Amino acid sequence: MSGKDKILIKSSTGNLHLVRDFVEKKAAEMNIAQSVINQIIISVDEACTNVIKHTHKYNDHNEIEIEIEFKDNQFIVTLKYEGEAFDPTKKETPDMKEYFKKFKIGGLGIPIMKKSMDKIEFKHTKPNNNSLKLIKVI
Amino acid sequence: MDEFTITEKKSGDLIILYLNGFLDAHTSSVLEKKFEELLSKKLYKVVVNFSGLSYISSAGLGVFMAYIETLRSNSGDIKLSNMSDKIYNIFDMLGFPILFNITKDESEAIVKFNETV
Repeated sequence: MSGKDKILIKSSTGNLHLVRDFVEKKAAEMNIAQSVINQIIISVDEACTNVIKHTHKYNDHNEIEIEIEFKDNQFIVTLKYEGEAFDPTKKETPDMKEYFKKFKIGGLGIPIMKKSMDKIEFKHTKPNNNSLKLIKVI
Repeated sequence: MDEFTITEKKSGDLIILYLNGFLDAHTSSVLEKKFEELLSKKLYKVVVNFSGLSYISSAGLGVFMAYIETLRSNSGDIKLSNMSDKIYNIFDMLGFPILFNITKDESEAIVKFNETV
C-alpha cells in the first residue's frame, strides 16, 4: 500500500461491516499478522460505533470518513467526522473486577481500543470537525 | 449471506443457541430479543455455541452482561462454548472469563449445567 486510502460511510451501524472489510483488506496488503489485524479491526469498529451512537445519535445524514495510512512502521487509521467534541483518551478505564461484580453494561469500546492500539489521538477543530487517530506500531 | 442468525435446540430445560455470522452494534439487538424471548418462556439455562460466529465487538459482549445476572438469579446461567481463538481473545482481553464459564465444547457446557443441578 502506498499513500493514503479512504472510504466514506453514512453514519449507520449497518455500515460497520464495510469498515471492517476495508480495514482488513488494507492491513492484509501490508502483510500484517492476522492477530494484529483483528486488534485493529475491532478498534476501528468500536471507534465508529461510538461516533454513530454518541456523536451522531444514529442520524445517518452524518458521515464518517475512514482513512488508512502506513508510514514509519505505523498503521494509522483516522476517523474524520463532524459533531461535538468527545476525546476518548480522556475517558477513565473501568476497573473490570468492579465492573463484573456489579454486572455493569456498556462502556467497553474505549477500553478495547486502548488495549488493542499503541496510540490514540483526538483532535477537535472549530466549529465541529473531529479527527480520531488509531495507531498501531507494526 | 445473512449478517447474523441464531438457531436453537431445546434439551429439557436447557436451551442451546447457535450463533452465525457477526455480532456487532448492528446485529446485537437480534440476540437481545432472543434472550427476552427465553426469559418470557422462563428458560434460564442457556448454552451459547460460537462455532459459526466470525466476529464479536463490545456490543455483543454487552448482551451477555445484560442477561447473566437475571439468569443466574433464576438458578440458570449462560455458558459459552466452541469459540475460535479470535472470538476468545476479545472475551479474554477485558477479563470476561472471570464472570463467564467458557468451555471448549458444547457437551462440556451441558455437563457443567447437569453438575450444578
